[in-house]
Amino acid sequence: MENDGKRRAFLKVLGLGSVTVGTAGYSVALGAEKAEKKPHYGMIFDQNKCVGCTDCEVACRKVNAVPEGQVRLYVENKTDPATPMEKRYVRVSCQQCEDAPCVAVCPSKACHRDAKTGIVTMNPDDCIACKYCVVACPYDVRFINHKTKAAENCNFCLNTNFAKGKEPACVEACKYKALVFGDLNDENSYINQILHVKDHVRMKPMYGTKPSLRYIPIVKAGV
Amino acid sequence: MNGAINFTYGFSHGVEWGWPIAVYLLLAGISGGALIVALLVRFYKKQHVDTPLLKAASLVSFVTIALGMVFLVGDLEKPLYFWKILIHYNFSSVMSIGVMAISIYIPLTLVMCLYLFEKEISLVLAKKNQLVRYYAIVMSILTRFRPLVEVLSIVFAVIICAYTGFLISVLVRFPILNTAILPALFVVSGLSAGTASAGMVASWLFNEEAHSPDLKTLHTIEWPIMAVEIMLIAMLFVSLLVGNEFQQTTTVAFQNGVYANLFWFGVMGVGFGLPLVLNFALGKHVAHSQMAFYLSGMASVLGVLCLRMFIIYAGQTFGV
Repeated sequence: MENDGKRRAFLKVLGLGSVTVGTAGYSVALGAEKAEKKPHYGMIFDQNKCVGCTDCEVACRKVNAVPEGQVRLYVENKTDPATPMEKRYVRVSCQQCEDAPCVAVCPSKACHRDAKTGIVTMNPDDCIACKYCVVACPYDVRFINHKTKAAENCNFCLNTNFAKGKEPACVEACKYKALVFGDLNDENSYINQILHVKDHVRMKPMYGTKPSLRYIPIVKAGV
Repeated sequence: MNGAINFTYGFSHGVEWGWPIAVYLLLAGISGGALIVALLVRFYKKQHVDTPLLKAASLVSFVTIALGMVFLVGDLEKPLYFWKILIHYNFSSVMSIGVMAISIYIPLTLVMCLYLFEKEISLVLAKKNQLVRYYAIVMSILTRFRPLVEVLSIVFAVIICAYTGFLISVLVRFPILNTAILPALFVVSGLSAGTASAGMVASWLFNEEAHSPDLKTLHTIEWPIMAVEIMLIAMLFVSLLVGNEFQQTTTVAFQNGVYANLFWFGVMGVGFGLPLVLNFALGKHVAHSQMAFYLSGMASVLGVLCLRMFIIYAGQTFGV
């Protein structure tokens, strides 16, 4: 009997405690959400629409002044040689990870997340070109720019087109609308509308870096 | 739907971190290993005099880590901007943590050299009266902290050896590098190269007899260290062999091609085979000769260099 009373008291405390902590936690979370919803920029590559014309590559190199022989963006032909008529192209570029290894390993904080936009980008002046970010990137999409001698990646044209309020150069250049750029945190954005209705994947999700690029692969439904 | 789409093209071309990094990893290993072994011998034998072994180890550890910095900074594409690392610390970067450890470790090795070469330095400075007096004042203060400096030196020597392993084990793209064993392997192979280097320098520069008690101790611990090293390499190989599809494809590095030759002839043949043959297979006469002592020491160091080269090159060649 005596034990029973103790247990009842214990349960009471437990119940009251969890209610209090729960509400407090919820209100804190609510407050944080209200305070500011930072943008999370992402991009879709739709393989069904890409014809491999490489207009995006050309535009990227021109707008971002990428030196000859180097690229921030590459269109890889992954067509199966057994079925040469079924073309498969894939966009190769920075995946804009939410947990970016390049930002984590950079010893001079040159590779960083832009405070306003959250885009992973580069401060070439602080880069010592140790190449740690180049080898740490799970996607192998970083390189040392021959001219600036600094590491570089696709930053959605942050310092060029984005700064002028325009879409990234590749998106502008794509005649087939295979690329969509937008804010993943904005529920009404076009990119989210597409992601709601289309199946899409992330590249190498097993690394747990949460890439912001989404790929819509060609999937044959069969007859 | 995973696997429905993929890309294999990469923007880096081949091995981005080349031989200067491998040499740096060797030098850091020698530096840390030599100091750890010599100081442990001192503690274990409760020595209070400055032995030729400790003299050699202090000199080796300072010279190799200083030389290592030359390779490390030289490998940057903007070497003159290396100081940017020192003003923008990133605590999530192993490289930043390593730089911090190095900037404590190098002064420690320097102070160790000041302790052990106090007489020699005084003699050199004797020509300039003023300097000798300053040096004597500095040393009288430093000497009070010697036990602390020795303990800190061991701790940081281990950190230096281990950090070089963590530095490259965080590279998730490369299955050979991205293993838990790598830092341990680097500590042990550093001990192996450090033991050999300290022994050779003690004998060569400080006239330590090849059969003195200290060098005999080194000679005894050399073999268990080697055995652990072989065991760790075997574990690394097995973990790749029984791993996922990407890890399995990297085992080719051990089986054929130029890196397999580097591994079997360099690491196994020169690094482990040669010292074993010289010391056990050719009879006591050869085993006790000066030539065998230096040859087997150099073979150990060369073997560890081959191991670092193999890890760096094969590691970055076989990516996911």
